[in-house]
Amino acid sequence: MTQPLLQASGVQVAYEGNRALELAALQVGRGEVVGVVGANGAGKSTLVNALAGWSRGTPRVSGEVTLDGRRIDGWAPHQRIRAGLALVPEGRLVFGRMSVDENLCTAFAPAEGPGRHVYSRDEIYELFPRLQERRRHWGLQLSGGERQMLGIGRALMMGPQLLLLDEPSIGLAPKLVSQVLATLRTLAGKGLSILLVEQNVRAAIEVVDRLVLLERGRVVLEGPAAQVGNDPRIAEAYLGTQA
Amino acid sequence: MNLTQQVINGLVLGHAYALVAIGWTLLLGVARLVNFGHGQMYMLGAFVTWWAVAKAGVPYLLAVPFAMLVGAAFGLVMQRVMLKATFEQNLVSIMIMTLGFGYVLHGGAALIFGSTGQILETSLSRHEFNFGDLWFTGQDLAIVVAAIVVFICLKWVLDGTRIGRLVRMVAEDPKLAQLAGVNVRRVYYGVFAFEGAAVAFAAGMVAPRTPILTSMGFEEVIMTFVVVVFGGIGSVKGSYFAGVALGLFTALFGALVSPAYTTAAAFLVLIALLVLRPGGLSAGVAGAH
Repeated sequence: MTQPLLQASGVQVAYEGNRALELAALQVGRGEVVGVVGANGAGKSTLVNALAGWSRGTPRVSGEVTLDGRRIDGWAPHQRIRAGLALVPEGRLVFGRMSVDENLCTAFAPAEGPGRHVYSRDEIYELFPRLQERRRHWGLQLSGGERQMLGIGRALMMGPQLLLLDEPSIGLAPKLVSQVLATLRTLAGKGLSILLVEQNVRAAIEVVDRLVLLERGRVVLEGPAAQVGNDPRIAEAYLGTQA
Repeated sequence: MNLTQQVINGLVLGHAYALVAIGWTLLLGVARLVNFGHGQMYMLGAFVTWWAVAKAGVPYLLAVPFAMLVGAAFGLVMQRVMLKATFEQNLVSIMIMTLGFGYVLHGGAALIFGSTGQILETSLSRHEFNFGDLWFTGQDLAIVVAAIVVFICLKWVLDGTRIGRLVRMVAEDPKLAQLAGVNVRRVYYGVFAFEGAAVAFAAGMVAPRTPILTSMGFEEVIMTFVVVVFGGIGSVKGSYFAGVALGLFTALFGALVSPAYTTAAAFLVLIALLVLRPGGLSAGVAGAH
């Protein structure tokens, strides 16, 4: 059996003494798309941020994280990114005072390798033609959907093995949500592993291989999307009712 | 009173202000930090240059880079000590620590260099240019040329190079810059080293115009503050024009009204500007550098 690309165990995150995440174990296989779903405050963003070693706050994080067999917990965010773990966070995604072209530049020269494709700027424009039309515009002039594309594009230019995406559909029109999620499926088809945090469960089920349900910072349900997608706990988490 | 001579004096003074402020422009623009030890770092740069020339017999043109190395090293030490506070943007701690560094520098310099004022003479400061009633020294000319060259270089580095792009990323959003693969810690170190080197360079250029005292630094930090805020925080172009404008204002106000009230008048103008244009001269210019 091949080793999973990402393995996390015993990951705990606390803000000011309040525990936000208590993850016993999580794995993402090579080329696998894993969806993380859960109600607001379930710890979804905390999970992907902790894996990337990143946060806008100052949480206390512990636990073990390995990427491609290497321990990366304790590494700075830029080191994890260079190792192949890229995060596209929720919220502020682009440098507003830089053009789209400038946003699509990397701080380092990523190396191609097994399971790592370093996208060029031209490939990003091919993937998201809208960005090419707006290449001279400032980041702050872009719409929500364009910012999302730009955030994903920049992450792809760093040649990730695993892409962590936090709520890429938030605030987007349904048509754009479909477009972004279809792009993710295309990327997964090319071998990229993806850990997708998504509120829109129905849309997420369409693109993920496996689904993980978080409740109060703990995994309460996990399995193939087709199998667990209809579990009443999924609907309950979002609608507050029994399905 | 010779008005043209006052304009020349103002231009030289203005370029000196701009040169002294350039490190702070980047520091405030990138790290969103203030360095209240800036004036004492200027004093240190002036004394190191003087010591290298007068005591060690180093040629002036080598003494200035030597002072810049010392300044950069001091900037790195400061940043090492303040790194945690920098990441947390803990401005109160940083303000107190930089003030503390300033006082330590002041005390250390008094211990090493004594309290006697020193004069730094260079071949440039001895060389005078006379055009009728008008005159200026080679040092004055060097200050103007150096300020223009340094500002053009900084603007080019920030706008046109990879390093400049990384610095701008950190300036805008250090957390997001981490996710773009930027080693933010290294950028902070680089900015502090640049600030130390830049203020030492400014001191090496400007100090030959005035007596060098270990007690100096307060006026320099105040004027730097005015230039950086007046120009628009983080704006390289704004700082240059603000420095020149402040120099001209100081020279002309001093000649036409009274030198005693120049600083007070400059602050009145600054207050008025901040009321009318809170972002400074470059306010409203997206991505202004």
